[in-house]
Amino acid sequence: MGPLSRETWAQRLGAFRASPSAFMAGPEGEDLGRDLLSELRSEKLSEQTKVSLLALSLEYPAQLWPDATAAEAAATSLLDTLVLLPPRPSALRRPLLLAATTALVAGDALGPTSEASRRLLPLLLGLASGRDLGRGFGPASEQRPLQATACECLRELESCKPGLLGGCLGLLRGLLGQEGPVQPLSLLLALALRNTLVIRARARAGLQGLLMAGDTPSGGDPWNWALAEEGDARLQPQAPSWPAAEEECGLAVLEPTPEEARELRAAVAQLLDTSYLLTPVAQAQLLWLLGWALRGLRGQTPVLFKPQLVRLLGTAQLTLLHAVLALKAAFGEALFTAQDEALLLRRLTVAAQHPALPLPAHLFHLHCLLSFPENWPLGPTAEEATPLLLGPRLCRGLLPSLLHDPMALLARLHLLCLLCVEDEEKEEKGQDWSPRHYLEELLAGLRQRAALDGGPRASATLCFQASHLVVQCLATQPTVLTPLTHGLARLYRARPVLAPHFVDLLDRVGPELGEPLRVALRQEVVSGPGRDEALRWHLQILAEVADGNAQSATLGFLGAAAAHCTDWGLQQALLRVCRALLRAGVGGGLADLLQALARQWEDPDGRDHARLYYVLLAHLAGPKLGVALGPSPAAPALASSLVAENQGFAAVLMVQEAPAPIRLSVGPHRAAGPGPVLQLHVEVLEPAYSLELRFRVEGQVYAPLGAVHVPCLCPGRPCRPLLLPLQPRRPAPTRLDVRALYTTPTGLTCHAHLPPLPVNFADLFLPFPQAPEGDKLGFFEELWDSCLPKGAESRLWCPLGPQGLEALVSRHLEPFVVVAQPPTSYHVAIRLPPDSRLLLRLEAAQEDGVPVALRTDDWAVLPLAGDYLRGLSAAV
Amino acid sequence: MAQRAVWLISREPGTPFCGTVRFSRRYPTVEKRAKVFNGASYVPIPEDGPFLKALLFELRLLDDEEDFIESRDSCSHINKTSVYGLLIGGGELWPVVAFLKNNMIYACVPLVEQTLSPHPPLISISGISQGFELLFGVQDFLSLSQKNDTELNTKLNQLPDLLLQACPFGTLLDANLQNSLDSINFASVTHSQKQPAWKVGTYKGKPQVSISITEKVKSMQYDKQDIADTWQVVGTVTCKCDLEGIMPNVTISLSLPTNGSPLQDILVHPCVTSLDSAILTSSSIDAMDDSAFSGPYKFPLTPPLESFNLCYYTSQVPVPPILGFYQMKEEEIQVKITVNLKLHESVKNNFEFCEAHIPFYNRGPITHVDYKVSFGQLEVFREKSSLVWIIGQKFPKSMEINLSGTVTFGAKSHEKQSFDEICIGGTAYLKLHFRILDYTLTGCYADQHSVQVFASGKPKISTHRKLISSDYYIWNSKAPAPVTYGSLLLLDLSFLQSPLPQLKKKQLHFKGIPIPEA
Repeated sequence: MGPLSRETWAQRLGAFRASPSAFMAGPEGEDLGRDLLSELRSEKLSEQTKVSLLALSLEYPAQLWPDATAAEAAATSLLDTLVLLPPRPSALRRPLLLAATTALVAGDALGPTSEASRRLLPLLLGLASGRDLGRGFGPASEQRPLQATACECLRELESCKPGLLGGCLGLLRGLLGQEGPVQPLSLLLALALRNTLVIRARARAGLQGLLMAGDTPSGGDPWNWALAEEGDARLQPQAPSWPAAEEECGLAVLEPTPEEARELRAAVAQLLDTSYLLTPVAQAQLLWLLGWALRGLRGQTPVLFKPQLVRLLGTAQLTLLHAVLALKAAFGEALFTAQDEALLLRRLTVAAQHPALPLPAHLFHLHCLLSFPENWPLGPTAEEATPLLLGPRLCRGLLPSLLHDPMALLARLHLLCLLCVEDEEKEEKGQDWSPRHYLEELLAGLRQRAALDGGPRASATLCFQASHLVVQCLATQPTVLTPLTHGLARLYRARPVLAPHFVDLLDRVGPELGEPLRVALRQEVVSGPGRDEALRWHLQILAEVADGNAQSATLGFLGAAAAHCTDWGLQQALLRVCRALLRAGVGGGLADLLQALARQWEDPDGRDHARLYYVLLAHLAGPKLGVALGPSPAAPALASSLVAENQGFAAVLMVQEAPAPIRLSVGPHRAAGPGPVLQLHVEVLEPAYSLELRFRVEGQVYAPLGAVHVPCLCPGRPCRPLLLPLQPRRPAPTRLDVRALYTTPTGLTCHAHLPPLPVNFADLFLPFPQAPEGDKLGFFEELWDSCLPKGAESRLWCPLGPQGLEALVSRHLEPFVVVAQPPTSYHVAIRLPPDSRLLLRLEAAQEDGVPVALRTDDWAVLPLAGDYLRGLSAAV
Repeated sequence: MAQRAVWLISREPGTPFCGTVRFSRRYPTVEKRAKVFNGASYVPIPEDGPFLKALLFELRLLDDEEDFIESRDSCSHINKTSVYGLLIGGGELWPVVAFLKNNMIYACVPLVEQTLSPHPPLISISGISQGFELLFGVQDFLSLSQKNDTELNTKLNQLPDLLLQACPFGTLLDANLQNSLDSINFASVTHSQKQPAWKVGTYKGKPQVSISITEKVKSMQYDKQDIADTWQVVGTVTCKCDLEGIMPNVTISLSLPTNGSPLQDILVHPCVTSLDSAILTSSSIDAMDDSAFSGPYKFPLTPPLESFNLCYYTSQVPVPPILGFYQMKEEEIQVKITVNLKLHESVKNNFEFCEAHIPFYNRGPITHVDYKVSFGQLEVFREKSSLVWIIGQKFPKSMEINLSGTVTFGAKSHEKQSFDEICIGGTAYLKLHFRILDYTLTGCYADQHSVQVFASGKPKISTHRKLISSDYYIWNSKAPAPVTYGSLLLLDLSFLQSPLPQLKKKQLHFKGIPIPEA
């Protein structure tokens, strides 16, 4: 393809961005990566267009250059382009550096053997150290931004290959002390320092003078690929300054020598002292990194951070406050006294409600407040809770009101609930300020809003979310749950159209609210006339709440409603209630109702169903009825009761095709007895009863196999191996096709197709009957001679593993050895059912193999035996 | 500590997708790390189309509110922060930091450097606050002096270059994008060792310092025996320091007159180098008493080049600037209204403007108004069903003005009238809009002598002050009204310790709105 114009490129890039996968699958997809690289050197395109091409490569390198080879080539090409730029100012140098870095990392090409890596790294380090790299790298004015960019590239490489810059710590410290750009160098040094400390600590190695300042790193090549390989084994999470995460990352403790400790302190102090020159977000990063770097060090007190804290606590910056919290979590009392902790909490409380901050910041601060890393936490740290020092007084500005945005309301409501829990623990003090009273008023307000006719779904959702939250926190407080239950029942009366929300709530709350709310809702429904437009909602609620209680009222309501169920949907809804009653074991009255429905309704479907239920009710005992109406295992989510229950019946009466919960494997070979026997191990993931395993031999090389029966199998309970005798028609390996038939604990009969079982050639091996004592060699020689002329003879080389011949024989051929002269010579005789034999002479073993002479009376066995012997050394 | 991707989505209700991705940026090297860190719980960043759909669904911005959808409407699906999980391609993309502001959705996905199942607490993820900061930065950049769509597009077109500067590999270097824009332009300036990263160049020219204090006052007034009125002042101090030198030191002091109200909840700009502990601890959480720190509030700082918000504060002044009541009674298709407003004598009676907006929600258009005003004029917006009482520049000598009248409404048409969840039946409010120049309610000021500059040349110092109303509501006292509990309690404490006559009678009691018995 020739050079493309600016417009064509713009179009092409637009099409790509709209859907990269669709574009790459199209006709132009394949060439895009290549075109992009070549166009970067085109003289026709403007720099701006080239920057946009590079921007694309920064975002989608994996699509443009999908494998390591392509990525390596792309990085090489980008570096070539960079070197070839004329020495005037250009907007391309920075993005080219970024793009080459991105291509190498994203394409997994970064490594000591990659030519592009070996070019890029010294280039970046040279730029970062402000060395003069010649006129190809632009005018002096561009040096400063390029230096910063090179630092960013190095930082990204270090992030993806932790430890890579472990050998450059001294160099970076030196640069920071001189006149390098403060922010990029600080962040780079902090990251490299953190990674090195972590890797060293894990390897239980010292710092080995890595921190000592010096212009050039010791030993020529500054890249610590060895350290990077250690780090690469598992990228270390950066967050585990959080105590909860600590255990899993296995933070090791590094004990530096006094000399190293001093150097380390000096490096950290150097970074902190100039931290005010960094942007707030960069300061926050620095604190996270250094906090974690020092956390694992024994004997390093975190007081170095102290001078920074007051300044940080005064700001409105989300990241800075968050970083202080990270330090708090990392060092606890060692850095924050009880008074400091109280001050931090107060600042956080202020930030969570300050009118000058945006809502997302309020909410995040509120989250931080409820997850506050206390010096001495009382409860489990994983749950949100109010910190001990955050009394009701501090919280007063954080309570919810109806005017709040839904998210703010829920977040603040959670806080209010937590206060109510504490309040309950104390005595009622007769004070005006009762959190519980608030809570009731607020919930009432939310319900009133949800009750508005035509109101948006969101306000109903909010009301139910709030109710759910309250139940979660205050499930043990009847004083809260009783008014809530009544309020919800009234809400239902006011707006039955919210029935799906009620069903959802009932499904998700525990019995504390669930039980009384079911009663209240049932009462609310059955006390109504049962003929208004809300009937379908009433029936939906009843299907959820109907049980054995208040039978007559429920049946009365259904009887009255039946006449108004004129369409199929309503009839099905009513039948669903009947199913619920059937399942609950309601008897007499229900039979009458079902009979009435079967007579009364005109729709044949509804009529038939009513009759079917009646028959089931009259003929099936309780437990069986439960299974018949229970949810089908195959498709539980179908809306239609008809389909669902048909599956229910079918399930009970038919054999189900199911994914196998059974795992079958072949155990060790038993070379004994008259014929070959396969030892099978069975494991189950769920209990299975009356298991029958049926086998079919592929290719009919064996006689048909009988089924194996097991009465009962349970997960985790070992079952003795099952023995499957084989009757080969000729001595050949094959596969067994396996099917299982079993009954589940719920009473369903299932049928499953299991993965085929391989029968190996060696599984057929049998020893010869005992040779006469004393003349084993003669016995063997007799067998050996008898093979010819009918059979076949061969010699081959059997490679030996490191263990040698003795181990190989004892592992695989032991039962068949007739004459043994360890460690060099063995005579082996194998009987192969139905009536073949295989004889081996392994003699004069050498270090890496043994020559094998073999004879058999069945020429068809020869290739199988050859494969078998050649595979032995690999199997050792 | 990095972002995997960033999006800007304009919200377009009524269009097929209800929105368009205006900008997106992915960070493949961060994605590489996400894959390793998240392990089995890793969910890749989707393409723009599926992301848009999933995000709008989660934020309830699709036009399909009709049915109950469990994955969105379930009572257990509770979001308490602006961080979401999106169901995409069978997996859950989490954490997605997102918020809606001025019809633009700002979203990003921070890297989580551990497994995602179970979700680690947000507080332990450093990328969350970085993500917020990035999105706030983009939002500030877009809203700065932006007036129309063309300007928005220009700014959106600048974003790729700016993020290449401010966030080249997904790790945010500077949330101030304007700064990055300047640094592109300032590239030729030679820097010296101590150049801060947040200051891209140096100022050349006449030294000058400008300080302006803007106070916003908000209020909720009920005129009820059992509910206390509330009000609060929120101040913002904005500075622009044009001073030569790389790191000029400046100290700015804010002062209060003897009867001024102490400043509380002070949040400062990161360029402030140290902070008095009295400033740090002065908080609205505590009960106010005479010993409260009342300044001067000193802020030593090294200013950035651009204009910046030196600090924010709140304050609890003893009285609201305008105290009023609003009575509204429904009578069939009419409502009768009475409004009384009184300006407090201590407040400067010289407004830039002062208006009372009286909206009528969930009703038809206004067909007829009979009214009497003691002062100013009344404008009627029939279609919007609202009245605007233009009070003008000054209250009369009596400091007290009245409006009474009868408003008649036509039939309600659902298309035009917006639904309001709060103002139902008699629940109604009027909202005051006013602005007073060269005045603060707290009395807070910065004069020329309060500014110390340690740099060459004596700078010209200019100071400005203004008071603006914001969320200044007076609720109909003849019907239930929503109450903000928190501020009420605050008030409780303050009047117990420094009694104010007009509040003494009022007891604390909190009225929600009971559900009418069906």
